[in-house]
Amino acid sequence: MATTERPEPRGLGDRLYDALFHNYVWRSIFRSGYPNTPRNQMLVVATNVFLHLHPTRIHRTHVKITHTYCLGGLSFFLFLGLTITGVLLMFYYVPSVERAYEDILHLHTDVRFGFLMRNMHRWMAHGMVIMVLMHMMRVFYTGAYKPPREFNWVVGVVLLVLTLLLSFTGYLLPWDQLAFWAITVGTNMVGSAPILGPPNKFVMIGGFEVGAGALIRFYTLHVIALPLLAATFMAVHFWRIRRDGGLARPL
Amino acid sequence: MVATTPETAAASAAVRQKARRQRDEELLVWPDLVFVEFIAAMVFLLAITALSITIDAPLLDRANPAVTPNPSKAPWYFLNLQELLLHMDPALAGVVVPTVALVALGAIPYYDRSNEGQGEWLSTPNAWRLTWIGSAVGSIGSILLVLFDEQIHVRLFTGLTGSAWPSSLNWIRNARSIQNDLPWPEWMRSIPLGNVLRTDLLGLPKLDLALNIPELFVSQIIPVSLMIGLPIILSIVLWKTGEAKTRRDHMIAQFSGFIAVYIVLTIIGTAFRGQGMELLPPWEVKMPIS
Ligand code: HEM
Repeated sequence: MATTERPEPRGLGDRLYDALFHNYVWRSIFRSGYPNTPRNQMLVVATNVFLHLHPTRIHRTHVKITHTYCLGGLSFFLFLGLTITGVLLMFYYVPSVERAYEDILHLHTDVRFGFLMRNMHRWMAHGMVIMVLMHMMRVFYTGAYKPPREFNWVVGVVLLVLTLLLSFTGYLLPWDQLAFWAITVGTNMVGSAPILGPPNKFVMIGGFEVGAGALIRFYTLHVIALPLLAATFMAVHFWRIRRDGGLARPL
Repeated sequence: MVATTPETAAASAAVRQKARRQRDEELLVWPDLVFVEFIAAMVFLLAITALSITIDAPLLDRANPAVTPNPSKAPWYFLNLQELLLHMDPALAGVVVPTVALVALGAIPYYDRSNEGQGEWLSTPNAWRLTWIGSAVGSIGSILLVLFDEQIHVRLFTGLTGSAWPSSLNWIRNARSIQNDLPWPEWMRSIPLGNVLRTDLLGLPKLDLALNIPELFVSQIIPVSLMIGLPIILSIVLWKTGEAKTRRDHMIAQFSGFIAVYIVLTIIGTAFRGQGMELLPPWEVKMPIS
């Protein structure tokens, strides 16, 4: 494919390079050679599904850190990190009133690096709420919600709600006093609405008080329903950024 | 094919030149952007790992429905709502305000549809000023309202004059005193709604609700009027003084005010509310490290 880019003379380095990056196996995986020429650099972005979230070229002002402060990207990074640490935590955690608290305790005492998984998951969760809020502020103050990006702003608001719900549902899972009473206070706010409040609260926590019903509901929402929804909306969010012509620029 | 006239040729040359100029301004995503993203991700990964090694996530005693901690607090990002809960009807603070706030947030681009100030940080002429004004009004306003409900003016008065707060002004000590200390006619405190809305005539159970006008006034009407009225007054003042001329200008002031209120109430709820949700200096508040 990219053989014409390496003319004679061929030294040892070139031959090694060819052997590594132009061999049959490499090219069956990556459609382009190693991205050290403009052509391969564009090809790698265009042909790799993960890099293809990006365009191949981007305006120079958008590469400046001070334009986005990477806040949206870091929100996404934290989401990925939370998924990885979350999966590891699921190996050790059973969402039952009898076991939940002990399982969390054991993470700190019996599981190698268990404390690290739990702490990282917790701090990244707080970090994600902060990052998403700051990302929203940067989008607002750079006027990036203006046409044609109106709807992507709305998708963003949905992502903000999902982020808060993810954090809130996760808050209950350690089943300690902090968790229990925070969720009690939070769901009581919903329950206080006239007429629709009490039935809504009942559906949320699967009972009249926070208990086994609430734990399994919050767990299911936290580990599968909300992450799937969030990932879906993120896909739409990123797709729309591309469709709307990349990041906003002054007219 | 359209015949090429000198005009169309000139026009298409201009288009091509513009496209070329744009190209010159562009960088390749690999390596320029991917590099920045990689560094940002690594810095964050290291910082979070370091944080997680040094500070443990909190874990208190096992959940016990019989022992209510004092204070019981929601997660920090909801403490602004819990703060509102102290000053108004719980349904208003817990359901109506967040719903309206989110809808309003989502509606911003449908209100401000110009391309003014797009794609650059605060690039309209008055943007920075309006940000400061909005933030200042939002934060000072919410602090003053919280302090009013704490009867700070009463304490200041007694502190400065040495005499007690005049009893004729008892009703304006805080929001609740408007309900309790004004001579409301007694019938207003309990108007049986079932006698007005005759659901029993439709074969439904008779409404067992009583309307308490003074209570409604204090926990719903005043807060709603303040939350809607103060932002409107802000916008009118900015408009009359010529500070805010366009929709973008108004949005900057309102959004900044909203963010300021959110942050201030979150801080008050987190660091200044102790036992019984009493307003205390932060060093007297035992903070649950959430
Ligand atoms: C989980 C939450 C979110 C993730 C992962 C996310 C991710 C991203 C990313 C990676 C970008 C590219 C530019 C950048 O990094 O700033 C972006 C842009 C954008 N985001 Fe988000 N975002 C989230 C939430 C939000 C929220 C809450 C809003 C607004 C309410 C929002 C509105 C937008 C808009 C309008 C753009 C286009 C910006 C432009 O054209 O300059 N996003 N988002």
